[in-house]
Amino acid sequence: MTQDVEMHEQHPAPSNSYSSDSLSTLQHLKDIAALIETGAFSREVRRVVRAVRWTIQLRKKLNDSVLSAFLNYVLVPGSEVNSRLSSYITKDDEHDMEVDSATSANQAPAKHSLPEIEIYCYLLVLIFLLDKKRYAEAKACSSASIARLKNLNRRTVDVLASRLYFYYSLSYELTGDLAEIRGNLLSFHRTATLRHDELGQETLLNLLLRNYLHYNLYDQAEKLRSKAPRFEAHSNQQFCRYLFYLGKIRTIQLEYTDAKESLLQAARKAPRSAFGFRIQCNKWAVIVRLLLGEIPERTVFMQKGMEKALRPYFELTNAVRIGDLGLFKTVAEKFASTFSSDRTNNLIVRLRHNVIRTGLRNISISYSKISLTDVAKKLSLDSPNPVADAESIVSKAIRDGAIEATLDHANGWMVSKETGDIYSTNEPQIAFNSRITFCLNMHNEAVRTLRFPPNSHKEKESAEKRRERHQQEQELAKHIAEEDEDEF
Amino acid sequence: MDSKITEVSQMFDRFQASFMRKDYDTCDRLLSQLKVLLTEFKSLPPLFQETPNNIRELTLARHIYEYAVILSVKIEDQDAFERDFFQLKPYYTDARRLPPSAEEYPILGLNLLRLLVQNRIAEFHTELELLPPNALENPCIKHAVELEQSFMEGAYNCVLSARQTVPHETYVYFMDLLAKTVRDEIAGCSEKTYDSLSIKDARQMLLFSSDQELSEYIKEERTEWEIKNGFVFFQRSKESTPCKEIPSLQLINQTLSYARELERIV
Repeated sequence: MTQDVEMHEQHPAPSNSYSSDSLSTLQHLKDIAALIETGAFSREVRRVVRAVRWTIQLRKKLNDSVLSAFLNYVLVPGSEVNSRLSSYITKDDEHDMEVDSATSANQAPAKHSLPEIEIYCYLLVLIFLLDKKRYAEAKACSSASIARLKNLNRRTVDVLASRLYFYYSLSYELTGDLAEIRGNLLSFHRTATLRHDELGQETLLNLLLRNYLHYNLYDQAEKLRSKAPRFEAHSNQQFCRYLFYLGKIRTIQLEYTDAKESLLQAARKAPRSAFGFRIQCNKWAVIVRLLLGEIPERTVFMQKGMEKALRPYFELTNAVRIGDLGLFKTVAEKFASTFSSDRTNNLIVRLRHNVIRTGLRNISISYSKISLTDVAKKLSLDSPNPVADAESIVSKAIRDGAIEATLDHANGWMVSKETGDIYSTNEPQIAFNSRITFCLNMHNEAVRTLRFPPNSHKEKESAEKRRERHQQEQELAKHIAEEDEDEF
Repeated sequence: MDSKITEVSQMFDRFQASFMRKDYDTCDRLLSQLKVLLTEFKSLPPLFQETPNNIRELTLARHIYEYAVILSVKIEDQDAFERDFFQLKPYYTDARRLPPSAEEYPILGLNLLRLLVQNRIAEFHTELELLPPNALENPCIKHAVELEQSFMEGAYNCVLSARQTVPHETYVYFMDLLAKTVRDEIAGCSEKTYDSLSIKDARQMLLFSSDQELSEYIKEERTEWEIKNGFVFFQRSKESTPCKEIPSLQLINQTLSYARELERIV
């Protein structure tokens, strides 16, 4: 077999080793195609999912010649689809010849006209174009594939379709035309809901949310999200994305507790290697926690691979923790470009209020009595009338319960109240209660997911063992009965 | 098409004339007629069709809605403001090929201020996100943003002094409304913070021009306060005696749930 000879050849000549590499990739691709076929014929979606996973592993090894060979193998040559797709791949004539001659020698290429295979080819070409950064062509290819998808209504295509939607949106985003496809995405979402294509629905909802959030249309995003049908997540990655977008929307709407929960969950569930995503989640989570008034601990910023990216946020947290407005302003200006590229600028502005509160709290704890002019000086309030400002800020803080103090207007000073003995109140009880309920909930959930060890039902108790057990139980019962009598 | 445009522009001129004369009833009437006529133009939102005159039509329509918004401020109708502003918004966001309008930023700032006065802070921030980053340099927008910050922090005299620096004369109406909210806030804060205040200080803080107004305010809104010997005493709840009673019902519930869960542990 010429094919085998080529694969085992240890020739240093680049062309041969290149083609042997490409041959093994080609072989992989053919295997994948076969898998999709069987999956389509037996209507098993799992096989298609596996095929997609294998493809992603092969991503790096794709190149023009492999692709064109694969397309010729799988699609009827000269068909409309084949010619359209091949036009995206620059033909590399020299290597083309070798590969062609090798493969055509030993197999009559089986022509499949399954729609799944077609869509798979679209997907492959699209991934290839995006990896090679040929965005305009990727855009055209994805639009063509979407047009083809409209006529199909098969469950096995759904998995491939959801991937296609994702890359479609990505190619438009990379060329900056995201607004154009919003109408299309909405109609696809409608169709997916009609066909009960849950994976497609999930993917499309996330793509739509991403679309709206890209243009800061938080209002519309929230309206869509609240009305769209919700169900159990099929894909972990899509669920993480959904949580992240939800967290972002909630932050802008000032619902910080919900936002914190969503963002932290998204960061936890994300796969370990998804660094970019986890960095973004952590950035937003840090800001939300600062806005809630709690200081994130240092370990959050020291996670592997994220230290450099989180550095600006670390310094910001420092400024808020100390409560120094001047430092806060310097940090905000120093990293202004990072913040604006992360779109967190407006949130940082909101943090000013928290800085003042923390500063005030520190002052109130350290001094039993302090004049308002000194308070204004310590808080470094820059305003035309700092003392009056300080007075009103302090009185609002007292009303909101942030500090315990009273003001004396005539003498112009703030008197802090004694912090009473906290153990004589109900506070410890409440804190303990929340911890106890958390542990008990965790225990209940663990019990619910308990599984018996898989081989336990196979062990049959031998007669001997059973007799022994019975004997022991009887002895125990007698013992307990005797004890009871004794006690009385 | 042209005849319709001329008809609309003529009516609009009459509208502007009566606006100058401060004849708001005629303005209102003409406005409703104008709105009906505008529905005949196909190039306006939500259709956005491409007609030969669409630039003129869009500019004219936008101008009309801007005036409608300002009119609603003058007649002090907040619902009309909201309606007209929502109709105006697509012209700013989607119809980008029009030359920018001079009134755009003042009107956007006005809307932000209205949301602040109505205490719709979440919507305030959502609207803020929609603005491009360089919009924050514009004095009208900056004014609204700083106002919101001072309000949140509690620096109320900043808020009140900002009334002097309004960038646009239409802002005065909302600033007056804001002053009233601020006064309520100050009163609420003061009763928690101070034991007592001299009448002079109280009057100054709550921005009353005479003692008479102060005592009226106290009688109507803040009945727990007392005026004695030239001092206002804020009656604060008796927190000196700590609560001796145990919240028994809550404790019983908690303990029962612990017992139940512990029993379940095999």
